[in-house]
Amino acid sequence: MKAFLTLTILLVALITTHVASAWRLPVQVLGTQLDPLPPLMLVIALRAPITTITILAIFGSLTQSTLSSNPLGLSLLPLYVLGFTVHINSPNLSHHHTGSRFALGAIAGALIPLMSLALLLLTNKEPLIGWFSLWQWSAGILSSGLMAVIFYPLIEWLDKSVEEQPLAAPFDTTTTIIRHRRFHE
Amino acid sequence: MNRRPYLIATIAVALLALTCFTLSPENSARTKRLFSSFYTPLFSAQKTAQTTSDYLANQVIPRKTLLKENTALKRQNEILELKLRRLSILSHENRILRQQLKMQPKPEWNPRLSRIVGRDPSNWWRSIQIDLGSSDGVKIDMPVMANGALIGRVQEAYLHRSRVALLGDPVCRISATIAETTETGILSSCGGTIYDPTLAELLYLPAGTKTRVGDEIYTSGFGEVFPRGIHIGKILALENTPGDLTTKASVKLATNPSLLNEVWVLMP
Repeated sequence: MKAFLTLTILLVALITTHVASAWRLPVQVLGTQLDPLPPLMLVIALRAPITTITILAIFGSLTQSTLSSNPLGLSLLPLYVLGFTVHINSPNLSHHHTGSRFALGAIAGALIPLMSLALLLLTNKEPLIGWFSLWQWSAGILSSGLMAVIFYPLIEWLDKSVEEQPLAAPFDTTTTIIRHRRFHE
Repeated sequence: MNRRPYLIATIAVALLALTCFTLSPENSARTKRLFSSFYTPLFSAQKTAQTTSDYLANQVIPRKTLLKENTALKRQNEILELKLRRLSILSHENRILRQQLKMQPKPEWNPRLSRIVGRDPSNWWRSIQIDLGSSDGVKIDMPVMANGALIGRVQEAYLHRSRVALLGDPVCRISATIAETTETGILSSCGGTIYDPTLAELLYLPAGTKTRVGDEIYTSGFGEVFPRGIHIGKILALENTPGDLTTKASVKLATNPSLLNEVWVLMP
């Protein structure tokens, strides 16, 4: 597990969720709140191990629900399902171009609210939904795509900055040469 | 691929999610309070940044504008003092009359100013975070006002912050009275609230209601959560279907909470 990277990612999650809650401009302009956790989870799932994905899903959902009327840990399952699915299929997903990162971020931003809403309705809660929710969902999809484009180089830079990188070697560094021993001893 | 870490992570997340959904409201609130402490340094930094920006903004206001504002405020203060004097005489008279009629004295409310520090990150709830918490004496269900009208009630109180459920939030249903007819209904959210935060619905009015469009609405005082007579808004339209036992009314709330920076918490 990349401990420093995991800690840094949790800090990024904490700061971005706080900023999204305190920043009034998106609500005044778009009429919707921005959720940074789906694009962040997507970018993490493409780079980090399953331990980091799990910790982010748990910490992100639990801290975010303290700012909201949502039940505790509502987005835990949706975030983990997204992270797990992306992580398992990461070799098959194209994420080296801005367009594909935007598309993946948009899909993440579309799925998480739907799954969270389904969980809310399954637990007999009465969320505020109307026709305007469709606009909020669409604006959320676009903003999630944009945030994925921003988060990708940020996390890449953080990974390189906080974790010790292996030195580039033209040979296999894992092979150990044992001397003074006969081969068939 | 080693599947063991994936299996362990999935089981751990599933168990935790199940635990979260089956927690009692008290334990859920306690856990939320615990996790909310992670945001404390960020809220402190936000408060410092706001104070600094306010100070810097005040430094660049021209002296002429300040003097003009000061004169206007002095005049307003004089008018308000006159009104207050008249009201205090009436209040004294009211207290004596209540004593003579052996009625219970009305509780006094102390409003306390608080700054809005955050909004609900979900689109399907309508709540705000304020910078007063249980350490400042804030308790659950305390009424919150702005611009002389009710905007909501305290839903959760943390140590240095509280979350206020706004009028129009599905969890903030209150009993309201129409001033002109004294009819009572339940103020609730409607589909339009999500588009316009000043829209709500008044349910369970009598079928043959005498209420008219433009009538003012106040808190009824039933349930003893809110004091009686706090302004809420006015009737926008009435929806009376023949055969129905009740009438539904659209309500325009007096204050738009999305434009506010500060609110008043009414403390007993």
